[in-house]
Amino acid sequence: MRYSHTFMIRTARIMARILLCLCLLGVAKAWAVMIIANPHVSATTLSQNALRAMFAVKLLQWPDSQPVRVFVLPDDNPLHRAFCKEALDVYPYQLRQTWDRLVYSGTGQAPTEVGSEQEMLKRVATTPGALGYARKVKPGDRVRILSGDNPGRINSAE
Amino acid sequence: MYRAKIKMLAVMLTLAGHGMNAGADSLPDGVQVHGFASQAVIGTSHNNFFGATENKASLGFTELGANISWRLNPSLQLSAQAVSRRAGETDNGSPRLDHATLDYLDYTIHASENARYGVYLGKIKNPYGLYNETRDVAFTRPGILLPQSIYLDRVRNFVLSSPGLAVYGDKTLAIGNLSYQFGVIRPDTSDRETEGTFLGMDRPGTIKSDASYIGRILLEPGNGHFKLALTGVSMRAHYQPEVSDTLHAGNIHFDAWVFSGQYNAENWVFTSEYAQNRINAQNFGAFFPNHSATGSSYYVQGTYQLTPGWSALARYDVTYRDKNDKDGQAFSAMTGVPPYSRFAKDLAAGLSYRLGNNWLLRGEFHHVDGTAWLPYSDNPNPAVTTRHWNMWLFQAAYRF
Repeated sequence: MRYSHTFMIRTARIMARILLCLCLLGVAKAWAVMIIANPHVSATTLSQNALRAMFAVKLLQWPDSQPVRVFVLPDDNPLHRAFCKEALDVYPYQLRQTWDRLVYSGTGQAPTEVGSEQEMLKRVATTPGALGYARKVKPGDRVRILSGDNPGRINSAE
Repeated sequence: MYRAKIKMLAVMLTLAGHGMNAGADSLPDGVQVHGFASQAVIGTSHNNFFGATENKASLGFTELGANISWRLNPSLQLSAQAVSRRAGETDNGSPRLDHATLDYLDYTIHASENARYGVYLGKIKNPYGLYNETRDVAFTRPGILLPQSIYLDRVRNFVLSSPGLAVYGDKTLAIGNLSYQFGVIRPDTSDRETEGTFLGMDRPGTIKSDASYIGRILLEPGNGHFKLALTGVSMRAHYQPEVSDTLHAGNIHFDAWVFSGQYNAENWVFTSEYAQNRINAQNFGAFFPNHSATGSSYYVQGTYQLTPGWSALARYDVTYRDKNDKDGQAFSAMTGVPPYSRFAKDLAAGLSYRLGNNWLLRGEFHHVDGTAWLPYSDNPNPAVTTRHWNMWLFQAAYRF
């Protein structure tokens, strides 16, 4: 009886720890990829539908009517894979199919591909209407971090 | 003449590729250039597919293309694509314009995050099933060949793209994204393979298409992890006889439905499509009695990503030219053509290897019962075809 009581307390402690870890992991995951835009874009938030439509190159204008310029990393880049899964809930090959359809049916254009996260930050900072993503943004990067319509999912600090 | 044109296209492609490699910045703002090339080696145990392949290795299947697009503003894009395709006797490699589209998003309607619509004008890629619009690019196909039951390569020019006008749009619903496209088109019915498909063989006169309609509705539940599509086609054409023609100026009605379903998982994709089509040929006179047949086709296909580079394909593909005469016996009794030319059951397996984003190497094996989708031009005498046959293909493809 006594033994089982201690066992239960121990189990509860372990479970609480696991729960805490999961929570932290969840937060860390939600904060892993940030949506970034050129600082001259007037928008500060972006709904998930708008984000999906922009990366699918179906929505080509910001609410302030500036043309959107989308930047992406290569399909097999770990940050691109994380961005596809977490922010868009699609697999990279699905996004590639969407762009292939636009490019080879003559109904749209593919986003601009950049080689690294550093180049992504640089191009988004210097291209009017630019939209991209990053894992780390330093104070000197001169990009705007957009918040999503999912509260707490995407960093809203600028 | 053709050779010079192909050379020019190849040079254009190389230059454009070089330009792209040098960085997209070298192109004017809003302009993109893309291109693709592929070469296959094909061999068959019996019958010919894209060249003299029977007990031989043929290099008869080559694809070469380049496109340019110009995004003038968020509402307007102009684009054009030129393609040269050699496919045995069915396609001679002469360059042609595959699409020249004026893609125009209506200014008066706000293209919002949840709904968009617009108009296409020009030579438009037909929204037929899941693969038609990009089928000329090897990378976008699940294998070297698309399932021939539904994407019959013999009539590729007829199905791929057509001059016309289309409205398109999409809307975000609670269940998923819904997109649609409806067009009024005049399909290309000029080549002899299309003539063979509708009139049994290459005829002296020509088939002229009239106003025809095509539409597709696509629903993508779960952010596109599922895809469900319904395509409808209604084509009208008339025959223009030659002076000494045995056929009269008859009419052709062609109607088709395609049901498509796909499930996209992280490492595998499962796809199935079912199509039904009705060919109705009337008033061709005594030498080609009124004829109507309803064909049915389907395939089931799985692709699996083994590693980031390697992927495998398995497919079973079935077509019946007349679902009321599946074994072709009635047709054969009437025409003397072998009954197995009225069906085809194709079991295919393939492996592909991707080198980065630009190169693709593939191998594929087909075991086929029936000859329903064999090209007429490669097999002019149906009496010497063989019912059970095997085919292997290798392909190298490049794109930028």
